[in-house]
Amino acid sequence: MEGSLLEPTLYTVKGMLILDNDGHRILAKYYDPAIFPTAKEQKAFEKNLFNKTHRANAEIIMLDGLTCVYRSNVDLFFYVMGSCHENELILMSVLQCLYDSISQILRKNVEKRVVMENLDIVMLAMDEICDGGIILEADSQSVVQRVALRTDDIPLGEQTVAQVFQSAKEQLKWSLLK
Amino acid sequence: MAFKRDKKEEEDGGGNIFQNLEKTSVLQEARTFNDTPVNPRKCTHILTKILYLLNQGEQLGSTEATEVFFAVTKLFQSKDVVLRRMVYLGIKELSSLAEDVIIVTSSLTKDMTGREDLYRAAAIRALCSITDVTMLQSIERYMKQAIVDRNSAVSSAALVSSLHLTKVAGEVVKRWVNEAQEAANSDSIMVQYHALGVLYHIRKSDRLAVTKLVAKFKSGRMSLKSPFAICLVIRIVSKLLEEAGGEWAESPLFDFVESCLRHKSETVIYEAAHAIVNMKNTTQRELAPAVSVLQLFCTSPKPTLRFAAVRTLNKVAMSHPAALMACNCDLESLITDSNRSIATLAITTLLKTGAESSVDR
Repeated sequence: MEGSLLEPTLYTVKGMLILDNDGHRILAKYYDPAIFPTAKEQKAFEKNLFNKTHRANAEIIMLDGLTCVYRSNVDLFFYVMGSCHENELILMSVLQCLYDSISQILRKNVEKRVVMENLDIVMLAMDEICDGGIILEADSQSVVQRVALRTDDIPLGEQTVAQVFQSAKEQLKWSLLK
Repeated sequence: MAFKRDKKEEEDGGGNIFQNLEKTSVLQEARTFNDTPVNPRKCTHILTKILYLLNQGEQLGSTEATEVFFAVTKLFQSKDVVLRRMVYLGIKELSSLAEDVIIVTSSLTKDMTGREDLYRAAAIRALCSITDVTMLQSIERYMKQAIVDRNSAVSSAALVSSLHLTKVAGEVVKRWVNEAQEAANSDSIMVQYHALGVLYHIRKSDRLAVTKLVAKFKSGRMSLKSPFAICLVIRIVSKLLEEAGGEWAESPLFDFVESCLRHKSETVIYEAAHAIVNMKNTTQRELAPAVSVLQLFCTSPKPTLRFAAVRTLNKVAMSHPAALMACNCDLESLITDSNRSIATLAITTLLKTGAESSVDR
């Protein structure tokens, strides 16, 4: 059973994907240049992955030597990929974080139109969750805090106490700096 | 909302306001970046379009990329937080395509040492993406400071970036071992995890040092709260055990892995079971506790957990089919699992372990 012991490394995630309900890429990140080096190979993989997953809501699949965990909502599909030897539950917590962060950013309207309208913040969120294949943060609350969401965009009722406090602090700071 | 004004575009694109973007026209628009004062919302939108195109697999030539990159650097004038963060993202994406990217070094260094916490962590990561061996020395002092910063985002960013930097400069990071050591005692669970990863990377060729690192954790002087970090320790320990050959049966290291089977996090429990199953020369007695937690996972309502369990049991079936006798019933119920991967794995496992009596059922 050689090769199945997991290498102790921080490089855990091979990729993260958001596809729409036609299987078209909304955002994609591949962290390991060894897998799917060209855009063409990536798209082919995405097509294959989508075909195998869009009907069966089964949460996990093995494809092309990768373990992919996924979940969908309305017209979006979220995927996190890792090596086929990777601890699936770690990948799952990354997926959970990706989904929860985006859900919080979009105020629970997780659908394509809203993602496209807030694409900048969604890109920033993906960047905060995983850096070059290393899990940077797996707690959605922290991710949302770090993406510099314009606090005036969230209605007051939906902000946590910490966020209100943060924005008050910021406003005070800027007013002092002026 | 930033993009509301594009109502018309939206109607064409079936919910995708970026549907009909064309590279040349977007690159034209990027000239707006040179205007003063900067219009943050407009520029953020254009920059988002550029990043979206790149993400879709659009190719930029070196000249085009360099032109865009230089236009993007003009946006450092704006203090808008979202725009600044998008600029960092742009720098990272363009750093491999454009030339003379080191031009932003001083702007990024200023941000990483500045007071705005929302800038610092992201600036460090962007800076390290444009840094090469020759420039590393000039930022070394700041990196060391950032690793031990009180802000966990800054500290994590610095640790993760230093690990990326080992690809361009393997030696330099070894000089930051003291800082990484200090970060390992952080209260933040992610900082702990990243620090542990960096420490292991620095010491991995030195067996004695790795043993010491593990001992420090086991003795409780370094208490790890992150399940990720504990998983990493389990992997380090398994590697040590494997290198020790067959001498580990009574080893305290093995006891440690076994004790992780009783951890409260499922992620850790599974990691420990997976490690035990994949060790060489395990006896059936040593396997038994791992097999029984995996058996428990087989009945979990979570597909991922069932998948993980049956995949690992499949491994056991190859080496110790007898150890699985007790699980056969649970495996049989997985044959009809709604997830086809789980069902397939269950069937192949049963083919190796099943007796004649079970065929009819």
